[in-house]
Amino acid sequence: MFWFQVERLLNYWPILLKGLGMTISLSLLSLLVGCVIGLLFGIIRAGRIRWLSALTGLYIDLFRGTPFLVQVFICFFILPTVGIELSAFSAGVIALSNLSACFIGEIIASGIKAVPKGQSEAALSSGLRYSQQLRLVILPQALRIVRPSLVGQFILLVKDSSVISAIGIMDLTRSGWMIVQNIPNGLLVFGVVGIGYFIICYPMIFVARRMERRQQTSIL
Amino acid sequence: MIRFQGLNKWFGSALHVLKDINLDVAKGEVVVVCGPSGSGKSTLIRCVNGLEPFQEGKLVVDGTDLSAKNAALRELRMEVGFVFQQFNLYPHKTALENVTLAPIHVRGLSKAEATERGKALLAKVGLADRMNNYPSQLSGGQQQRVAIARSLCMQPKIMLFDEPTSALDPEMINEVLDVMVSLAKEGMTMMVVTHEMGFARKVAHRVVFMDQGAIVESGEPASFFGNPTHDRTRDFLSKVLHH
Ligand SMILES: Nc1ncnc2c1ncn2[C@@H]1O[C@H](COP(=O)(O)OP(=O)(O)OP(=O)(O)O)[C@@H](O)[C@H]1O
Ligand SMILES: [Mg+2]
Repeated sequence: MFWFQVERLLNYWPILLKGLGMTISLSLLSLLVGCVIGLLFGIIRAGRIRWLSALTGLYIDLFRGTPFLVQVFICFFILPTVGIELSAFSAGVIALSNLSACFIGEIIASGIKAVPKGQSEAALSSGLRYSQQLRLVILPQALRIVRPSLVGQFILLVKDSSVISAIGIMDLTRSGWMIVQNIPNGLLVFGVVGIGYFIICYPMIFVARRMERRQQTSIL
Repeated sequence: MIRFQGLNKWFGSALHVLKDINLDVAKGEVVVVCGPSGSGKSTLIRCVNGLEPFQEGKLVVDGTDLSAKNAALRELRMEVGFVFQQFNLYPHKTALENVTLAPIHVRGLSKAEATERGKALLAKVGLADRMNNYPSQLSGGQQQRVAIARSLCMQPKIMLFDEPTSALDPEMINEVLDVMVSLAKEGMTMMVVTHEMGFARKVAHRVVFMDQGAIVESGEPASFFGNPTHDRTRDFLSKVLHH
C-alpha cells in the first residue's frame, strides 16, 4: 500500500516541482522588495525625525502584531472592495513584502543603534553629510552586526509564505493540499512538502550559522 | 581663531555644565585644558566643532558664529579636526581608507590625490608600513596616530584633542605626544584636553584649569606651574604631577 502511494506520488512530481518554484519566486521577490523597503524603514526608525520614526514604528507594530493570514485576506478580499483589483500572486507578494519590510526594518534599526556613538561623531566631525555618514560609516557596520539575525528572519519569512496558499496560490503547500485529495496519506505528502521547504531553508541556515561563527572572530 | 564669550551650557535643566566661559585662542596658539573628571573639559571642546549645542553666550570659530541658528556647521567641521579619546576609527576600513574617506567625500579630492596625501600623512606619523591594516590589527598608539592623520588629511585650520592619550598604555603615550608636539611646532592652532603636563610645559602657550564647569585659572605654563594662584589649581596639580 505504502509503496503504491509513493509510486502515485511520483506521478505528481511536476506539480510539486511547480509548487516549489512558486514558493521560491514568491519568497525571493518578497524578500527583495522587503529588504529595500525594510532598509528605508530601518533608517527612518533609527533616524532623528521623531514623528516619522514613531509613525513608522506604529505601522511596523501593526503588522507584527496581527496574524499574517488576516493581512493576506485583507490584501486579497478587502482591497478589491475599494477598487484595488489584485491577482492572487500580486496580493501574496504585496502582503509578504510588507511583512518582510516590517521585520527587516526593525532589525536594521537595531543594528544602526548598535553602532557605537563615536562612529557617527567621528564621521560628523569630519564634515560628512548625514546621508554619507549612513552610507559610508554606519550602515556597513550595522548590516554586519545584524547579518545573522537578518538571515534568520529570511528563513521565517520563507516559511510564512505557506500562509499565502490560503488565497489559492499554487505554492508548495497548496500543491500538497491538492495531491492529498488523491493520495490519502497526509504524512507522506506533507512530509515531502516539508522536505521542499527544508531544501530552500537549509542553505540559509547553513549560511547564517557560518556568519555567526565568523562574526565572533571578525575584525570588528 | 576661537572665541568664547560668556558661554553657558546646561544638560537638561539642572546640570549647569559650562559656566560663563570666556576664552580666546589665537591663530597658531596651543591651549591645554586640564581639570578634574567631570569638570566639563570634553563638553567645552566639543562645543568648538558643534558636537554639543549651548544655550547662552557666544562662540565664534574661524569666523563662524556657532550661536547662530543656521550656523554653517558642516563647512566649519571641514576646517576643524577632532581627535577622540577612544580613537573612533572606522573598523571596516583600512588605515589608509580611514584617512582618505573625508577628503574624497567631503573635499571632493580624487582617489589618487587623497591616497597620495593620506600616504604622506601616515608616513609622517610613522605608519608607512601599516597603511593597509585594519584598526583592530593596530595597537592603541598606532590607532590614535591614524586618527590624527585622518583629521590632518582634511588640512584643517584647527585641531581639537580630547584626552588623546588617556586610553593608551603608558608605553604608547609618547609616540602620540611626539606627533602632537611636531604639529604644535608647525604652528597648528590646537586645543588639547590632557593631563600630560609634560606636553603642556613643552609646547603649550597657555594652560587652562577648569573645575565644576568654570575656568578657574589660565596662564602661561611657566607661571601656571610655577605659582598657581588658586587653591584648587594647586590641589589638582599636586595630584597630576605626582605620578
Ligand atoms: N550627554 C550628557 N548628558 C548629560 N550629562 C552629561 C552628558 N555628557 C556629560 N555630562 C555631564 O556633564 C559633566 C561634564 O562632563 P564632561 O564629559 O565634559 O567632563 P570632563 O571634564 O570631560 O570629564 P572627564 O575627565 O571624565 O572626561 C559631567 O558631570 C557629566 O556627567
Ligand atoms: Mg572628558
